[in-house]
Amino acid sequence: MPQDKEAQEDIQRRAAIDGSARFPVLFFITSASAWLAVAVILGFVQQMKLYSPAFLDSPSLFFLNYGRSYPAFMGALIYGWAIQAGIGVGIWLMARLCRAEIKNPITLIVAGHFWNIGVLIGVLGILTGNGTSIEWLAFPKAVWPILFGAFSLIVVWLITLFHRRQDREIYISVWYILGACFWFPWIFITANLFIHIFPGSAVAKAATNAWFIGSMIYLVFAPIGIATAYYLIPKILGRPIHSSQLGFYGFWGLAVFGGWTGIQKFMGGPLPAWMPAVSGAAVIFMLIPVLIVTVNQLLTLKGNQAGVYSSPALRFTIAGISFFIIYCVFAALSSFLWVGKFTQISFTSSGTQILAILGFFSMTMYGAIYFIVPRLTGTEWPSLKKINSHFIISIYSMGILLIMHYFGGVWQSSAYGKFDAPMENAISAAKPYAIGASVAWAFIVFSTLGFLYNLVSILLRSGRREIASKLVGHQESSG
Amino acid sequence: MNSLRPFLLGITATFFVPWLCLIVIPHNKMKAEPVEWTDAETGKLFTYPAGKPNIFRQGQIVYAQEGCANCHTQMIRPTYMGFESWRPDFGKEGTTDLPIRIRETRSGDYDGEQFAYLGIQRIGPDLSNVGYRHDEKWHHDHLYNPQSKRGFSMMPSYRHLYTKRKIQGQRSEQALSNAESDDNIDNEYEVVPTERAKALVGYLMTLKKDDPFSGNSEEVSENNEGDSKAK
Repeated sequence: MPQDKEAQEDIQRRAAIDGSARFPVLFFITSASAWLAVAVILGFVQQMKLYSPAFLDSPSLFFLNYGRSYPAFMGALIYGWAIQAGIGVGIWLMARLCRAEIKNPITLIVAGHFWNIGVLIGVLGILTGNGTSIEWLAFPKAVWPILFGAFSLIVVWLITLFHRRQDREIYISVWYILGACFWFPWIFITANLFIHIFPGSAVAKAATNAWFIGSMIYLVFAPIGIATAYYLIPKILGRPIHSSQLGFYGFWGLAVFGGWTGIQKFMGGPLPAWMPAVSGAAVIFMLIPVLIVTVNQLLTLKGNQAGVYSSPALRFTIAGISFFIIYCVFAALSSFLWVGKFTQISFTSSGTQILAILGFFSMTMYGAIYFIVPRLTGTEWPSLKKINSHFIISIYSMGILLIMHYFGGVWQSSAYGKFDAPMENAISAAKPYAIGASVAWAFIVFSTLGFLYNLVSILLRSGRREIASKLVGHQESSG
Repeated sequence: MNSLRPFLLGITATFFVPWLCLIVIPHNKMKAEPVEWTDAETGKLFTYPAGKPNIFRQGQIVYAQEGCANCHTQMIRPTYMGFESWRPDFGKEGTTDLPIRIRETRSGDYDGEQFAYLGIQRIGPDLSNVGYRHDEKWHHDHLYNPQSKRGFSMMPSYRHLYTKRKIQGQRSEQALSNAESDDNIDNEYEVVPTERAKALVGYLMTLKKDDPFSGNSEEVSENNEGDSKAK
């Protein structure tokens, strides 16, 4: 029958795309996962150090002091894990959605090696006392050209893939990924040039740093995370996205407001008042595209809730989008003066960043990895139990972390605001919350090691060999 | 939308405007130009920013490398953002019984710095005016063993910025007084700061972000005028 023949060709084409993507995509996913292990261990250490400087305190371990372990942790998390996982997932999504096989993967592998070398130098540079203490840009100054060059190579490669596309229709996920590929180099080179190279006001440089963080979250991590959700949810449920028009509006909402965000962090700071005010307003307006994305995803899920329970990939993706909504609401609330004065320079600000990366972005990446890797290896995940425990522990630990950082930060800021109270009160106010957060970090380390064990097992093909993954639960539709 | 060109034009336009307004223009416009002004009461001539070598650049590098900015802010906010400007342990004088307000930090206060470390989190006290609060010896003792100065402190020791050496002749004036108890140092040895420790403390001693400026003086004069009118 012609339909069967078409379906057969479709399956063969997808298998060919997956076969061509196998090496580069697995390279980025495994490298990212290795960095995730480094990041969560450093995350646990920095959290312990925050309230107990005696923890791992010996003359030979001075490089683990909070001042070094915290930026090293953030560097490993953002550049080692998050961006690399995003690249790996992005390459696979682009290949699938453009229906184009991956050619010249060596370019990607070379770029990936340079990226990893850059991150390694960066993390070791911070730990050996060569960091800059600039938030999210704490790597030694010599590192950023390596990262920029490597990412540019990947972007050029992705554009050539896009031009080779076999499907003339351009899906919404492709727009989001292309957007992130366009924005990241611009944001990254702007921040590094204006902070490290160009002369200028020290305060303007601090504002650029705050803008960099806001733009990275809304214009790099959010688009890749949302692109993943727009692909996985309809794919796993076997139905199209509710409204591509809504997807279009959501994308342009993100594009319009995303570049204005970040500087609200310095409300009341020594820079022109309009800058944090405009940024704060943009973060509040950002709730509009977030609402559009949410409604679109919910309407796609409507009547198919059972799929969420049967597919771990879908469960992780939905959890990731939920954390994104929580992040955006918290960020919008913190843009009001009456909330922001308690949250801007406290535990809360670091907590919301961790929520964006570990809660939102990482959860969507886990969902994508659980979906993609069986297709690339032709092997099923060895342990469904480990995936379930990874999910449950991740949700609970992020919940605990969120509560500890948010309430701890507000409590800490309130204590500093009581000017007639001794310093001891302000410093000890946050201690119980820091202890609570370290418990959450212990769980995160445990669940991440479980994830890594599962990943290594599937890569070593120790699981049951099957052509299609049961975990997906549904027949794939085209695309 | 199935074409790349309008897409690229759209995302370029939407991103270019905030990029121009929040990055390019502020970097060009926010350069601090020294302004001379005369205090109405004393007739004394001031310049703001003062243009003095207010920053110990090498020390700021050590401050960044050791990650001090991850716990300490250098930003005093206005009172509508909190009452930290009244904290005696953020300012230069005053006590909890008789607090004296320090002014909020301004853009010119960071003049000459490579980067304004406004703050990531406020785990420890604000350092905008730490140069007033302690002497160099206190800072060295504190960096070596923070808990010897403040028992409740969660700051780690920066022992690696200090070196132990055999005393030759007289004991060094820079030798730490709180090193003996926890380092098994007998009378033949002493602990002294390395060049990095000296640079860091030198930098901390320069942190005095309270130069008087024209607007501040007028504000004070207006307040005084208001007070006299009320009387």
